[in-house]
Amino acid sequence: MAGIWIYSEDTIIAQQIITLGKELAAAMQQPICALTINEQDAQSLIAAGADKVIVLKGNNLWPESYAAAIAAQAAQAQPDVLFIGGTLRGKDLAAKAAAALQVGLITDAQKVQFVDGALETERMLYGGLAVCTEVLGGMNVITIPPRAYDVPAQDASRSGEIVSVDVQTDATMAVGNVCPIVRQGADISVAEKLVCVGRGVGKQEDMKLAEDLAAAMGAEICCTRSVAEDYHWLPNEAYVGLSGQKVKPVIYLSMGVSGQVQHVAGIRDSKVIVAIDTNENAPIFAAADYGIVGDLYQIVPLLTEAIKNKA
Amino acid sequence: MSEEEKFDAIIVGAGPAGSACAYLLAKEGKSVLVIERGVSAGSKNVTGGRVYTYALELLEPGLHAEAPLQRKVVREQIMMLGEQSGTTIDYVDYTYNSGDVPQSYTVLRAPFDEWLAGKAEEQGAMVAAGIRVDDLIIRDGKVVGVLAGEDEMFADIVIAADGVNSFMAQKAGLRNDITAHDVGVGVKEIIELPPEVIQQRFNLTGDEGAARLVLGCTEGTTGGGFLYTNKDSISLGVIFAPEGAAKRGKKIHEIFQDFKMHPAVYPLIEGGTTVEYGAHLVSERGWKGVPKNLYRDGFVAIGDAAGFVLNTGTIIRGIDLAIVSGIAAARAVLGAKDSAGVGPAYMQELENLKLAPTMKLFAGFPEIIDIPRIPAVYPAMASEIMNYMFKIDGQVPPKMTKGIWDIVKKHVSLGELLADGWKGVRNI
Amino acid sequence: MPTIIACYKWVLDEQDIKINPGNLDLDTSRAKSKISEYDRNAIEEAVLQGEKMGAEVASLTFGSSNAKQSLKDALSRGPGKAYWVNDDLANKADAFVTANVLAAALKKIGQYDVILCGEGASDTYAQQVGPRVATLLGIPAITFVSEMKIEGDKVVATRKIGDCTEEVTVPFPVVVTLLPEINKPRIPSLKQVLGAAKKPTTEWSVADLGLTAEETTAKNKVKSVKGFVMSRKNVIYKDGAPADKVASLVASLTKEGVL
Repeated sequence: MAGIWIYSEDTIIAQQIITLGKELAAAMQQPICALTINEQDAQSLIAAGADKVIVLKGNNLWPESYAAAIAAQAAQAQPDVLFIGGTLRGKDLAAKAAAALQVGLITDAQKVQFVDGALETERMLYGGLAVCTEVLGGMNVITIPPRAYDVPAQDASRSGEIVSVDVQTDATMAVGNVCPIVRQGADISVAEKLVCVGRGVGKQEDMKLAEDLAAAMGAEICCTRSVAEDYHWLPNEAYVGLSGQKVKPVIYLSMGVSGQVQHVAGIRDSKVIVAIDTNENAPIFAAADYGIVGDLYQIVPLLTEAIKNKA
Repeated sequence: MSEEEKFDAIIVGAGPAGSACAYLLAKEGKSVLVIERGVSAGSKNVTGGRVYTYALELLEPGLHAEAPLQRKVVREQIMMLGEQSGTTIDYVDYTYNSGDVPQSYTVLRAPFDEWLAGKAEEQGAMVAAGIRVDDLIIRDGKVVGVLAGEDEMFADIVIAADGVNSFMAQKAGLRNDITAHDVGVGVKEIIELPPEVIQQRFNLTGDEGAARLVLGCTEGTTGGGFLYTNKDSISLGVIFAPEGAAKRGKKIHEIFQDFKMHPAVYPLIEGGTTVEYGAHLVSERGWKGVPKNLYRDGFVAIGDAAGFVLNTGTIIRGIDLAIVSGIAAARAVLGAKDSAGVGPAYMQELENLKLAPTMKLFAGFPEIIDIPRIPAVYPAMASEIMNYMFKIDGQVPPKMTKGIWDIVKKHVSLGELLADGWKGVRNI
Repeated sequence: MPTIIACYKWVLDEQDIKINPGNLDLDTSRAKSKISEYDRNAIEEAVLQGEKMGAEVASLTFGSSNAKQSLKDALSRGPGKAYWVNDDLANKADAFVTANVLAAALKKIGQYDVILCGEGASDTYAQQVGPRVATLLGIPAITFVSEMKIEGDKVVATRKIGDCTEEVTVPFPVVVTLLPEINKPRIPSLKQVLGAAKKPTTEWSVADLGLTAEETTAKNKVKSVKGFVMSRKNVIYKDGAPADKVASLVASLTKEGVL
């Protein structure tokens, strides 16, 4: 009864993964064990569905320093699988733990299933162009993207085992100067409606077209990677793509976006995708539910008007 | 000489002309540097198109067998489009295929150019890709090297093989910037289709191919279309005079789309997937567009940079001429006693290898192609004549001589017809 | 003199990969190869830091025989020498194997003060190899670094972790994985491209590195790799006047209930 292990430095994310854990626990007939470095969250993890919680007590506030400790716990208990919340901190820790354990690591698993006695995962390759399905051999570490699952309903009546373990943490790194990144603008990863600006928008002044449309729609503005990283018209937190934000809006409307795979990888969970571009062969149209082939300088103002008039 | 690297020859451009020249020079032990602007040889090149194999065999006997070529052309076709109709003359000639070396093959530039540049490297030439040459280094009236970014490279001879709008030839003072009159704009798509489908649609067996030139597809502007069958794709495109297109207010891709959708053309590409787009300038002036001087001390121009493209209305040649001119330049360099002698030797080789005489022979053809009625009137007229000849609806048609003459008169006056005919005769 | 080693991966250019419409298999026959995007940043950073502090800079890659072209590319970007573990095993390697091989190669090179990697490879984007190599070598890894300085024998790096940045200071030896915003790789000049041919290359096979069979066998089995096809409605309004197209779109979106 080695168990399904779950860890994230962010308790909410750990709880989200417990939702996945519960699906697999039924199939795998394994208990769920959550690890945490936040002692006060142990009970909530039980309430979310963990059967056991291991609290790692180290003297370090830096989450990444717990990699060796977590690996040591896993080496001892030999869980079937170790899920780690796929924040950047989590991925850092996951790779170090996997190396210490000398096991495989699946990053950003989009799907995890228990098939014919083994775990199977799906993840993206080639910037989102392809899906790779793997059958896991032996203990593996798997990182799960935040918000891939919903937080389960809390059942305060649940009880489970909570153990505390004193651990040594890695102190070779001196960490200081922790500064929150001041978000300029909304958090597009949770936005309901998005207007996306691509390179087809010629000048920064033309962003006004997007802003007017977004205002009419009640949407936030996001962009493709080049608009943020090369042109700097929007901050890096505003770009959608494989290496940027993944978004899940009810409507995503792009203008002047060609639709390269790396960008599309970030929008695939949108409910409705709309594209406006002059090039009818642009890949974005293959990825869209609706679209207009046309000059965005003509189309967007008309669209903004039409939406305003509708309301 | 410490840091200053000096080559025997620096060639700007790794297209067919540059690579052929580099191949021969390197083979004879010369130190050669080829500088290519694109990320790989061929990445900036577009062709219809096809290559005539005599040029490959001239470079090195047996080379055609190694080259990545598509289909050997046995069908030479000319098509004239009306609004909803097309007349196609299909000349099939299997003698083009007989013997060890078929006359011509359709070709895709990316693999072909890369292969030829690779052959030059095999012989010992250095090919530096992804680097743009910004200027020539000229000292005391002689070209002694090139400047790429901040790097200076020196050579006994600099050979410009940098294509239709050769900056090197301009920097050398041999030509001015091209004008809209000198060039046509070509756009092209490569459309994937299974080989069997291509064979069926064009009546081909095995790896045979068809080459087709099309008139009447440029909506009245001077120009024409082309279609070449590759192994598992079709190269389809249109070339036309940019001024004319602008005057008519038509966008290039619109004209091209109309061509693709033409009822006589569409069935040939139906079901295919477009996998590549390309656009490129094409020299349209023929011999008259070749600069008066193709050389100066320490410098020669070859290939498209020298304007070596031939369009006779029935066939278009560029790659073979490029290769031959590269060979001519290499021979000149190898044979000349001093740098001043290379230029004249090059001009002599262009005569010896028959390139110059060929281009001179067809010097008048651009005049014919320029006749405005050729793209605008005659194809429609021909179509109407065909329509009349094949129309059977139970009525009594006009007498043939009158019927045809009426159609001709509708499109063109006798005077215009004679003038065009005279122009044609004079320039052929 | 300190040594900075930049690791890179020679990958297929995803732009050239086609998806077979029938069975969704990947057609890589036309695909060219390239140094993975973020690894170019790693090589550039290694060269920049090396120029600043006077260090020996080398590149390291694990790739099969077709990675030979990558050496010229890597060397033209500035490293003084290139190391190549040339083995067909690379075609079947996962991050576990790659990290084992790279760690063994680094031990064989002997001297490494700063090891730079891209944050993730453009083909798999697994974001693992850097920290794995560090753990195998028993040294620290600083990940997701957007800025770095070398002060004496320490690396001072700024990490960007989602909603905050932090500054981390670590003494040599250390692995640093870099975000693409760290620098803009310079385009090699003609002299650098020509010079690359003259720089030394060391080639090893996996057998030269003394690894066990288990260390060089991928942990998981790939069941399938299929093109990802988003099946969307694809209702695209192409023809007609702009106002008409807009009206049709608004009508459709209203029906969907998203406007």
